[in-house]
Amino acid sequence: MSTDQLWSSYGIPMAKLLWKAQNVELEGIGSLMVVDGCLVEESDLGQNFFVTPASVGQSRAKVVSELLLELNAEVEGSHVQRDPAEIIENSPEFFQHFSLVIATQITGPSLYKLADICWAANIPLVIVRAHGLMGYSRIIVREHTVVESHPEQIVDLRFDSPFAALREFAESFNLDELDSMAHSHVPYIVILLKAVDSWKRKHDGKLPSSTADREQFKQSIRDQQRSDMPGNQNFNEALASAYRAWTPTTIPSSIRSILNNTCAQNITSETPDFWIIARAVCDFVQNEGQGFLPLPGTVPDMHADTESYIRLQTIYRAKAREDAAAVSERVANLLASIGSSPSRIPVQEIEMFCKNAGYLHVIRYRSLTEEYATETARSKTIGNSLAGDPQDNIAWYVMLRAVEVCKTQFQRYPGESESHYVSDQQTVRKCVDAFMQEHGLDPALIADDYVQECVRAAGSEIHVIAAILGGIVSQEVIKLLTHQYVPLNNTVIFDGIKSAASVYEL
Amino acid sequence: MALPTVTQSLPDADRRWRDIYRYLDRPGPFMAEGFEAGAAVKEFLHSIKILVVGAGGLGCELLKDLALTGFTDIHVIDMDTIDVSNLNRQFLFRASDVGKAKAEVAASFIMRRIPGVKITPYFGKIQDKDEEYYNQFTIIICGLDSVEARRWMNATIINMYDEDDPETLKPIIDGGTEGFKGQSRIILPHMTACYECSLDMQTKPTTYPMCTIANTPRLPEHCIEWASVLEWPREFPDKKLDGDDPEHIKWLLDRASTRARHYDITGVTYSLTQGVVKNIIPAIASTNAIVAASCATEAFKIATNCATPMNNYMMYVGDQGVYTYTFELQKKEDCPVCGAVAIKIQVSPSATLQDLIDLLLDRKDIQLKKPSLRTSATSLYMQAPRALQEATRPNLSKCLSELIRDGEEVTVTDESLPISIQITVRFE
Repeated sequence: MSTDQLWSSYGIPMAKLLWKAQNVELEGIGSLMVVDGCLVEESDLGQNFFVTPASVGQSRAKVVSELLLELNAEVEGSHVQRDPAEIIENSPEFFQHFSLVIATQITGPSLYKLADICWAANIPLVIVRAHGLMGYSRIIVREHTVVESHPEQIVDLRFDSPFAALREFAESFNLDELDSMAHSHVPYIVILLKAVDSWKRKHDGKLPSSTADREQFKQSIRDQQRSDMPGNQNFNEALASAYRAWTPTTIPSSIRSILNNTCAQNITSETPDFWIIARAVCDFVQNEGQGFLPLPGTVPDMHADTESYIRLQTIYRAKAREDAAAVSERVANLLASIGSSPSRIPVQEIEMFCKNAGYLHVIRYRSLTEEYATETARSKTIGNSLAGDPQDNIAWYVMLRAVEVCKTQFQRYPGESESHYVSDQQTVRKCVDAFMQEHGLDPALIADDYVQECVRAAGSEIHVIAAILGGIVSQEVIKLLTHQYVPLNNTVIFDGIKSAASVYEL
Repeated sequence: MALPTVTQSLPDADRRWRDIYRYLDRPGPFMAEGFEAGAAVKEFLHSIKILVVGAGGLGCELLKDLALTGFTDIHVIDMDTIDVSNLNRQFLFRASDVGKAKAEVAASFIMRRIPGVKITPYFGKIQDKDEEYYNQFTIIICGLDSVEARRWMNATIINMYDEDDPETLKPIIDGGTEGFKGQSRIILPHMTACYECSLDMQTKPTTYPMCTIANTPRLPEHCIEWASVLEWPREFPDKKLDGDDPEHIKWLLDRASTRARHYDITGVTYSLTQGVVKNIIPAIASTNAIVAASCATEAFKIATNCATPMNNYMMYVGDQGVYTYTFELQKKEDCPVCGAVAIKIQVSPSATLQDLIDLLLDRKDIQLKKPSLRTSATSLYMQAPRALQEATRPNLSKCLSELIRDGEEVTVTDESLPISIQITVRFE
């Protein structure tokens, strides 16, 4: 299923889902379950689009899931009227059935336990909280792999190392013999290939490397222009892309580390498809690939006559097919070696991997335990951010951690009760100080303004902030489920006063 | 259209708006100047008139967001009717609403769902309304998808400002999305940068409305979109379209060319087909949700002063992680709408009037379509009426030095704009 279909069919319910539902889970794609033990209250009417005055007093899980599904008949939905904290405590196995769990407004011991359950069962967990004009979300997945990260453009044209068909195509052009019209329609790829070839002949097979070399290289391109038609578009394109010609084709270090990862190197029958193909690509690079990744086969748009452009496309594409076929054969052999059927990994999947081989992503998220345990906490990230800017969004993170402690202790948000308004500020301040000291940081880095604002907010869920977070989270959830695009790693804080989001790896 | 019956007993305001009242009942360190906690600010929030321009993807979200933020007198204006292709993300519309006015259906859905909120729809163009209409609103929020409509709204609201009457200062909150990218911004007439100040930040629009693609193609791009978005999945339901496969592109090119011939459209080429196919940017529901909610958050802060508004532009990008960039967009001194000085243009005295017009048409910061030019003394070139156009046409090939003095001010008007632009022409 393509992403487009996913967006159109499932985007809406997931975006709305988070507006208030206390706990939402998604099973696979296209079905979701709302878990909530509360009854609809009047305060829900002022913040939740999926309740009506007539639903006051009814199960919130039931009302929300029904009105949610009304948005999209293709989504299957269900609800469970139980307190999420009670399920986490008594029925941890409940969560095993889901592809992804979203925990909204859950804090303290229930959250830590849910995070442990999901971590142990290898189920992605997305935590989301709104607190007044602030919002927070955290993603926890053991390992998330992305083949289709959708970079702005995929460019791998092999100017420095043209394969036979490409070299022959470039050689078939004799620029001096072309009439003016044809000369102005020679694809810039051909112009550059010819320029590199002639440069290498004169310079012991080396590419232009010094600034002077490069200027001279560009001059050699300018010299090819016809004096009667200077500034032709194809030559301008060649000059603008000259840097691609003198940049050697290499494998980025992030991709190298994926190919050499132990997951790819030690293949078993349990190994996910991603790592099997990664291993095949790794072997390809070391053998028939001659040190290069499989060719993506894409050609950027350029000024050219249709025929030469289509021929160029066909040449790059044929080589890409050839490379993908070689990788496919390696995949088949690897599958055979671990006793899996060769049909386990479809050819299209391998082709897609090869096309995106230069743009793969592997994210290993930190667990909530690592984040919360003082010895593994990212105290430096917090300290450095605050030292750089005392109003950095990380200050709200510290506040949310302090509020969480108060909430656990008093079973209510600080500021909820008018009679404790002042003492709550003192309590929160103490919790902030304790957090900072525990992490070896100066408590003075958090100004009292933050304490006062958090107590003022008193855990309120303002609809528009929940909607911003809901939108962000639904976007991230779809990235996680489809393995397309790159999800955030690992925490986002949104400040609705400044209107700015920041991402931290905590 | 039947209006929903108003429920007799509304939910108790203090309980219903508990979460919002936490902010309105208490002062805080981040409140804006002029904030006073208590009953008056709540009453103000619940009674002011706010206008939502556009009832599409952003507009639907905005109406819901504002209604759940305590605004109760909301107006919405939109000239479109509901198309099947809107149903996937314009969540207030159902299949049975296809063909009805977006503004009316959206308004009645919200009023049915959220009692106590009054939404007044207007099914028509923004240009149908005059200053008296726009003057009744305290805040105006735009969820538009066209540059022209935004320019018109911006110029109209900014021109309404009268410094002797503070009531005429209308904050505009503007939202826009394209795929995973979006932005929200606040325009305070004459105080912050306006839409026109930042016109050169606009990239060429690359999305086309589905109804245009399906029914009324005008451009070669529309024919290509029709072939790729509608015909391809119908013909090959199981095959994914690959923008890099020449065979796929050729198939699309054939289909699109046939359609283009049928509609007398020229310009469908292989490279255009590929360009269009590879640049398809679908509107994404979650980006709309984020940008609309950001606009509504700013409306809430501006209406109540409970916290300082953003200053003044937030850009959002969601495809590689989550990224926002919030910054103060600067006013342009020579902005044709809110600036105080004329735009300076340098030309050679031997350049023709046509050269000057071409130079103006090239400028991304003013984006003209069919400019007419005149000096305080005479018409240089007028697009209309016809007699005047014919009379001024010979000027196009004349040297500028024959027509104007060095440093003379020229007024440029354009039928797509509610404003005129002053330029000072300097000879090099």
